[in-house]
Amino acid sequence: MSVTDNVRENSFVLLQIGNRRVALPAGLVAELAPPVRLHVFPHTSKLISGVIVRRGRIVPVYEAALVLGGRSSSSQRFYLIARWQTGNASDLGAIPVNGECELATGEMQPPAMDRPAYVAGTLAVGEDSFDVMNLDAFVPYYSSAADESLGAESRS
Amino acid sequence: MKSAGEQDPKSRRVRRPETVVLFFVANQMFAIAADNVQEIRSTDSLAGSASEIENPELPKVRHTIERGRRTYYVVNAGAHFSLPVTRPALVLILRQFRAALLVDRIERMADIPAVHPLPIAFTGDERRWYRGLAYLDDSVIPVVEPTGFLTPEEFQRLDRASVLAASQRETEKAVQA
Repeated sequence: MSVTDNVRENSFVLLQIGNRRVALPAGLVAELAPPVRLHVFPHTSKLISGVIVRRGRIVPVYEAALVLGGRSSSSQRFYLIARWQTGNASDLGAIPVNGECELATGEMQPPAMDRPAYVAGTLAVGEDSFDVMNLDAFVPYYSSAADESLGAESRS
Repeated sequence: MKSAGEQDPKSRRVRRPETVVLFFVANQMFAIAADNVQEIRSTDSLAGSASEIENPELPKVRHTIERGRRTYYVVNAGAHFSLPVTRPALVLILRQFRAALLVDRIERMADIPAVHPLPIAFTGDERRWYRGLAYLDDSVIPVVEPTGFLTPEEFQRLDRASVLAASQRETEKAVQA
């Protein structure tokens, strides 16, 4: 492994999603896009609020805040565009963020046993500790939580 | 592993300009290839030739119309896409499929340079509903797939209900006579 690879592997972007400040491996991040127009149309896919157009590409927007708790800020909606895995293919996806992102380096530690599946590990920066997100687990986690919630409602 | 994101975006598009009809349902704009539309009529002009069809399992279809000795099932586009209820004013009678579409209004016809594939993140019914997405005048517009309005199973179910409804109408006429 080269020094560059090692640095990239230990680089993380710290960002605010909903009420939470979390970390994302920097290697997954394509860019921080300005608050461009969100285009919405009917669909049934969970967690997706619409699409944005960036550099000639149509990029789906994931409401990651629904998983982490809280709502995306309606003002200052920047979009963090990152690589997501869906099935056997990967594609770009965007997450609404408030625009305050910073780069941090550190070694990711395994997650505690009680952490949800979308947490890939823990990153210590100074005295703070951040959950490192596993974006690929967001949709399955949210779908299963939504199904459980529906099941509970129908039983009550 | 195949990485859709790493491919040249240009190679991922179906780069064939085509003419589409832009229409609105509940303030949402859609596009349909002009080649897929045989006729556009007002709902008023079809009032006399439409028949009611009872099918509680498929509430989006409540009428049939006869065109050229074929029965077309009239799909309420708002109900199909789970949009708020509106009062549709137009019917798009589709070519090649025995379906017609109730819509609110036609915006215009337009030439779109390409139909972009639906991003793989979309995994629900929309994969059947849309051929892809068009980017026109700073708007992303879903391009509908005509075969997505009714599945073969739904056609079979409607054919059975249609035969039943026709037979009931014949019986009612005989009783009245």
